[in-house]
Amino acid sequence: MATEILRTEGLWKQYGDVTAVADMNLRVYEREVFSFLGPNGAGKSTTVGMILGLVRPTQGRVLLFDTDVAKHPWPVMKRVGAVIETPAFYPYLSGYDNLKTLTIALQDVPKGRIEQMLELVGLDTRGRDAYKTYSLGMKQRLGIASTLLRNPDLIILDEPTNGLDPAGTREIRELIPRLAREGHSVFLCSHLLHEVQAVSDRIAIVKKGRLIQEGTVEKLLGRAEYLRLRADDTEGLVRLLGAIPWVTGVEHVDGYLRVAAPTVRAAELNGVLAGQGMLLSELGPSEVDLESVFLELTDEETA
Amino acid sequence: MVPLMATEFFKLRKRMMTWVVALILMGLVVLLYSVLWSASSRVQNFGEGHQFTGIDLRQALFLPGAVPYALQVVGTFGAILAIILAAGSIGSEYAWGTVRLMATVSSGRMKLILAKLVVVFGLTAVGTLLAIAVALAYSFIIAMYYGGASGSFLTATFVGDQFAAYGRTLLVLTPYMTLAFAVAVLGRSTLAGVGTGMGVAFAEPLINGLLGAAGSPWSNIPHYLLNTNRQIVLLQNKVPAVLPRLGGGAGGVPVHSALVAGLILAAYAVAFIAVALVLYRRRDIGSSQ
Repeated sequence: MATEILRTEGLWKQYGDVTAVADMNLRVYEREVFSFLGPNGAGKSTTVGMILGLVRPTQGRVLLFDTDVAKHPWPVMKRVGAVIETPAFYPYLSGYDNLKTLTIALQDVPKGRIEQMLELVGLDTRGRDAYKTYSLGMKQRLGIASTLLRNPDLIILDEPTNGLDPAGTREIRELIPRLAREGHSVFLCSHLLHEVQAVSDRIAIVKKGRLIQEGTVEKLLGRAEYLRLRADDTEGLVRLLGAIPWVTGVEHVDGYLRVAAPTVRAAELNGVLAGQGMLLSELGPSEVDLESVFLELTDEETA
Repeated sequence: MVPLMATEFFKLRKRMMTWVVALILMGLVVLLYSVLWSASSRVQNFGEGHQFTGIDLRQALFLPGAVPYALQVVGTFGAILAIILAAGSIGSEYAWGTVRLMATVSSGRMKLILAKLVVVFGLTAVGTLLAIAVALAYSFIIAMYYGGASGSFLTATFVGDQFAAYGRTLLVLTPYMTLAFAVAVLGRSTLAGVGTGMGVAFAEPLINGLLGAAGSPWSNIPHYLLNTNRQIVLLQNKVPAVLPRLGGGAGGVPVHSALVAGLILAAYAVAFIAVALVLYRRRDIGSSQ
């Protein structure tokens, strides 16, 4: 069994009457890419803040490398690298000096590591320029370099591709699984669900501070079953589908209808519709992506 | 805590504000020295009863008087600069969002705050030495020019007195510095710290005057505030009588001994540091800091 790197136990955060995070139980294992998804205001950043010891839990605890973060924050935090939301650095310092600031504080960063990291993120030619002159993408790259500087066992990346151009986004998408292969665990927060689907081993989805789904990508994608239907009379088809109790949802997607219904009942559905004079020009399983599952789960909660 | 202090020192050393503050302090010493020097060659007699002459003033600006004079400038104007330095060291971290970054690479929140305070205090001490160096250099140059240069004043007593005066000057700066720091933590901004520090530094003498005019028991309140005790402590610095006091240690019968005044100032400093530590330690550092 894989070694557990991070565990949160019954984590709660209350701000007055507002519950930001409720009973959050997460596990992150060695060498895996774990994605933490949720709509804006779902409690992702608060949870990450509690993991990093920046936000104090109202209840519950965070265990990093089997050590309670609240009791012994250091040196376990030395084994964690994080970029939280927008990267923040000293504007008057160069990219190089910003990383140097961190190496002085961390002490045990090997010599030459700063140059190595700047090269890795493509900032080697701009490393001596002031941070305040950087574009958002460059700031993001410097954030990633700062995260990797200490060669951490756990890397927390909050929207790492924010502000990056397509080439930069692809580089990060390739970098994340590579980090896992090299022995790091990656805790990823992103709104780019196609990226998340491509790089993640496991995914957790939160809504209104609560964990509503957690599992492998395959498990989450297998959770929702959809059929793809097309007919000349789309409006009539929607009306008929609405009357079938085991059809739980219908939506228009690129000229066809995506129907939430068990795929094993496809033939039965065809029979019901044909019996009412509705002839289908297309019927088959609809490919499900993470975005559909995410929207379904988060909408379900809203409903 | 040493790596964090090294980090703070690195950041402040690279920051323009630090050098600007140092330049302002040195500039003030030069400016005031020049004004006094200029005055010494123009006035015949001055002071109550016209007991001083321009020659007396000029003599006071030569080497023995340069050190207490520079300390007097630091004790008065240095407080403003220390306030800016202290409030900026933590307030800017909030403004830039780097407070999160530093919290994740620090071996503890208390250590981070203490490292900042130690470095700000250290830089203030170095700035004070710089001011003294500038005054010494200025004094030495004019003394050489006018043939007044002599090392005869350099006795063990003189050196001891100057060290004590240096310590007293740093002591009177510390409560203002720590107040600005604590308020910058409280308000999560440099402006809050600078505003409060400056407000206290400038408004307190006025408020003390009003309280004094209101009679007992109101008139006793200033005895326990910063300005009165700052003046009592600075009065111990042996500034030549001919030099203007610049608002530090001026007139009146001291209401406490220098020791009591020093303890009151130290108590304020400790209280402000405690506030900063408790606030920073207990507070969440979220996306809005």
